Amino acid sequence: MIEILQSGTRITLQDQGRPGHRHVGIPSSGAADRLSFALANWMVGNAWGTPALECTLGGQHIRFHKDMTIAISGAEMWAQINGQNVANFSAFPVKKGDILTLSFARIGCRSYIAIPGGLSGETIFDSVSTYEPAGLGGLDGRALKTGDKLDVTETRASLRKIPIGYTPGLSNHVVLRARPGPEFEDLTLQSQRYLFINPFEATAQTNRMGARLKGNKIEMAENRSMTSGPLLPGTLQLPQDAQPILALTDGHCTGGYPRALQIIKADHWLLGQIGPGTKVSFQRCFARDALDILKRRNAFYGSLIDGFSF
Amino acid sequence: MAEQYPDISPYGDCAYLIRFETDGFSRQICEYLQSLRREFVPQAGWIESVAAYDSLLVSFDPMTFDPLQAERQIHKIIEKFKPGKSDPGRVIEIPVQYGGEFGPDMENIQKSSGLSQDEIIERHSRIEYLVCMMGFIPGFTFLSETDPELHHDRHITPREHVPAGSVGIAGWQTGIYGLDSPGGWQIIGQTHLQLFDKTRPDPFMVKAGDHIRFVPFEAGS
Repeated sequence: MIEILQSGTRITLQDQGRPGHRHVGIPSSGAADRLSFALANWMVGNAWGTPALECTLGGQHIRFHKDMTIAISGAEMWAQINGQNVANFSAFPVKKGDILTLSFARIGCRSYIAIPGGLSGETIFDSVSTYEPAGLGGLDGRALKTGDKLDVTETRASLRKIPIGYTPGLSNHVVLRARPGPEFEDLTLQSQRYLFINPFEATAQTNRMGARLKGNKIEMAENRSMTSGPLLPGTLQLPQDAQPILALTDGHCTGGYPRALQIIKADHWLLGQIGPGTKVSFQRCFARDALDILKRRNAFYGSLIDGFSF
Repeated sequence: MAEQYPDISPYGDCAYLIRFETDGFSRQICEYLQSLRREFVPQAGWIESVAAYDSLLVSFDPMTFDPLQAERQIHKIIEKFKPGKSDPGRVIEIPVQYGGEFGPDMENIQKSSGLSQDEIIERHSRIEYLVCMMGFIPGFTFLSETDPELHHDRHITPREHVPAGSVGIAGWQTGIYGLDSPGGWQIIGQTHLQLFDKTRPDPFMVKAGDHIRFVPFEAGS
């Protein structure tokens, strides 16, 4: 069993997500940084999509009630076991009574804690990922809170070390490669350029649904109302106040604001590391390059993590 | 839709947007897209298929096909597709308590339309609506155009809390809130039916492509 001594900013149960339900309004859900999450599971010998803990911004304290192996990945949060530093993107044994503490997120926004065999929660639409707005997954549809106890069934001692070159580099300046969105051409020419020049900064209104960005004003050539249309994670929308919203994994399935950009699939995992204050830049990407990048990245990580794709 | 072929353009690197040029709301296009949507779901390689008023987003698994193959598939599906033969959807009756505490914005519609509450109820409930789109959150039901006299702008500042089941008007649209949420629609009534309930085997009471009829209902009747 593991016990949440401090839930910190937010701690939720997440897995590979629940794709295929956006037409009824259920977002993709799942680990916001799919790559770090998959690596955490890989290090303890789990299938990549096994339910694990997603810790946002830090402050979490967790006690282990039996000997087991755990892995930690994602944002750099000064993780310690009983006050002793442990390396990020690593797996290690813990003993009964040990306490893992995460300080604040120094680089990135979300870290992952995987345990052999995974954790269980409410399964709905083939996933236990917590989607708080509709109370789906997790523990009774909610995030974990201080005092929650989670059963651990397996205590395998297998642990793996990530080979050189596979640990993703995180930064507080996230560069996202993007294709023009359906309404990109409706922006003023200046705004079309500005999107790719100065970095934006994520505001405090940043969560699993989306990141609100501030920076240069991005404006439409003419203000016309738009019929609501579908959205995907990685869509950059422009509300009337000209401060863009970048949709994340729990983002709305449909929306009525112009869609300026769409982040390429190979960079979606980075969206999960955007927290309040993170600098965000967009880099224009050609269609052919997007496909090459995705193929190469899928082949690279697919050769390490069985069945994984971005 | 034989007379019009949609515009098909990439949406990022793993999806396409199929769009029609429309002048306002077209029920015909909406119905066409709802049934076209179902053609993609059962086929291997397609992940999401989300229809809206005048567009349909289809996303594909890049491990199954590359974008060019996906685009060819879309054309093939559209060319083979016969809309008339698709499932016409169900007709679902939704009991609604109009006005009073259930419809705090009824007065706004009365003012803008010059109609009495009874006339508004009569006009709002005599139309058989098509469910054009679901989302933005689970259970939110976007319906086809309501009576032109009832059209009304959204609130400038959205309410922080709109109870689940609220029936509202926004511009020419009418719709139902599936969950408690913030919202800016003009609320004229409320249904006690739970449109989204995760404890049911099928959590969704209505689906895009269904038809809805509102049945005015008084407490105690």
